[in-house]
Amino acid sequence: MAASGTIKGPAADQPSLRRAVTPWGSFAWGYSDVGADIFVGLGLVLGAAAGASNVAFLFAGLVYVCVGLAYTELAAAYPVAGGGQYFVLRGLGDIFGFIAGWAVLLDFTIDIVLFAWSCIDYLSKLLPAIAFTVHPWMHFAVVFIVIAGLAILNVIGVRESSAFNEIVSGLDVVSETAILFFGFLFAFRPEILVHTMSMNWPTTFNLMNGTSLAIISFVGLESISQAAQETQRPASVIPRTSISLILTILIFALAYSNLALGMQPWTPIPLDEHGHAQALWHYLGSEENNGSAVSVLASLIPYYGALAALYVPLLGAILLLISSNSGVFGSSRIAYAMSQSQLLPSVFRRVHPKFRTPAVSIAVFCGFAILELVFAALPSLSHSFKAIYDHLFRGEDGITFLGDLYAFGAATSYSFVFVALIALRLREPESPRRFKIPFNIPFRYKGVRVEFPVVAVIGFLGITSILVFTMITHLIGRIAGPSWILIGLIGYLIYRRRKGLPVFRSKPHAWRTQQVQILRDAGELEMMDEYISNVKATDEARRASGKAGLKP
Amino acid sequence: MRQFVRSDGYARARLFSGTVMIVLGIVVVARMFLGAGLDWHGIPGYVLGLALIGLGVVRFREYAARTKGPTQR
Repeated sequence: MAASGTIKGPAADQPSLRRAVTPWGSFAWGYSDVGADIFVGLGLVLGAAAGASNVAFLFAGLVYVCVGLAYTELAAAYPVAGGGQYFVLRGLGDIFGFIAGWAVLLDFTIDIVLFAWSCIDYLSKLLPAIAFTVHPWMHFAVVFIVIAGLAILNVIGVRESSAFNEIVSGLDVVSETAILFFGFLFAFRPEILVHTMSMNWPTTFNLMNGTSLAIISFVGLESISQAAQETQRPASVIPRTSISLILTILIFALAYSNLALGMQPWTPIPLDEHGHAQALWHYLGSEENNGSAVSVLASLIPYYGALAALYVPLLGAILLLISSNSGVFGSSRIAYAMSQSQLLPSVFRRVHPKFRTPAVSIAVFCGFAILELVFAALPSLSHSFKAIYDHLFRGEDGITFLGDLYAFGAATSYSFVFVALIALRLREPESPRRFKIPFNIPFRYKGVRVEFPVVAVIGFLGITSILVFTMITHLIGRIAGPSWILIGLIGYLIYRRRKGLPVFRSKPHAWRTQQVQILRDAGELEMMDEYISNVKATDEARRASGKAGLKP
Repeated sequence: MRQFVRSDGYARARLFSGTVMIVLGIVVVARMFLGAGLDWHGIPGYVLGLALIGLGVVRFREYAARTKGPTQR
């Protein structure tokens, strides 16, 4: 589009995603991804932050609220698949869009392994033969088969149906609410909570470690943004479902951590390996239980625990499997979108001739996931590797290694999203926003009234501090995370140079034309009209103030 | 599932769960106050209680908006 502000009509008709996701579907889509995180995060955080686990969850939770509000505003204003990567590309340009997208891809590959691993941990509560601590080789083999199976299913185009997703999410919300209800009414003792926190307060290093792991309980908001392109009336539906989702996830994370520290268990806790009594939080955070802490906690709830012990492992396993699958699906979709934006080579948008799915992307990122699985499992499979890991990485276990990388990828991409939100507020004030983060400072920028989002700055500082905690406390994350970004960046620079595209600058994008198309496709016709009239008004205001209209 | 989500039964179920959330939130805040008082260790518990009340209020508002007009587009 020309800088004058005229807006071309939509491009030739192209196949697009069907808008069939309802408000509940949008909630379920996000919940099946983010809701599964606490099943993985609880045990890890208890193992690291001990008596301050609820404080770690609170800090990470408040950062997550800021992240959630930012995603809600952006996904409602720009309802396209792509999520954080798209917002950063649009707000900050190609190279930052690549870095954010590449970090999200790291998270999706970790998502595949971490949730498949944890899924088997939960199932092992019903089938002890596949328990990690009993038969590590069996555990490794089953996780490997799950990942390979999901890859094949995604290549042939089978994905869990939306209805199945919605039913599992609904059952899980009811189940977790019941655990919370019985736990807080019959077993929670505030005096025990205060005592546990006072007596088991961790070192600063462990608190930072726990906080960096707590953020993994809040990762997955990408799902709502990705679902935006398939959501009916996204501008009005996404804010509604997102606020509910943000509060629900925050409640479950705080509830479980407070229960773990302040609950009187219904049945006695087994003695530790030395024959000593152990606290509930210690038992849940041990290597034996940290992969399935929620089901162990649920089984110790009065009255409800006996029933919960039977179905929570299965329900948790199904939710984790769905989440693992969303990693396979999401990574291939993000890679496809990045390839379309010429951030990745065209091979990533090559589709299988028979199944019409991005088979190359699925194979490549599931391949990365398998490599991560091998790296995470090696110390448990071989004594010689365990000695090497003990020497090099302070003996971190496999699931903690995956958690480290997950936290690194999420913190990196979220940091960029906050900056992109600020940039888009300044550069595209004409975009109608049906939802805006509260607490804004209005001022004039290049002749146009804009609003500066204070919460984005707070969120950026919060997520950056978590990124710093991750770098300080995780030896493997400190090396592997930045290496992933660096290797990707080198590949990006080579690819852009070979294609004759700008290497450090952005190629021209017709954002305004694209925005009209996006809003039209979303059925948000009022917003589209508002956008077109805003564009004219903004350009006139800029011309009147002597500033050239921004290039689209 | 989608028919149920569009029905009045679903709206009433959300209203019921919203009520449960508010009651539970009040119980958590009250028990924290009685057991921990103003000790700073109780902050995560208080935040949990307030978040429960907040989610309950969101559901109440959803129900009110739905009974006033067709928001389920």
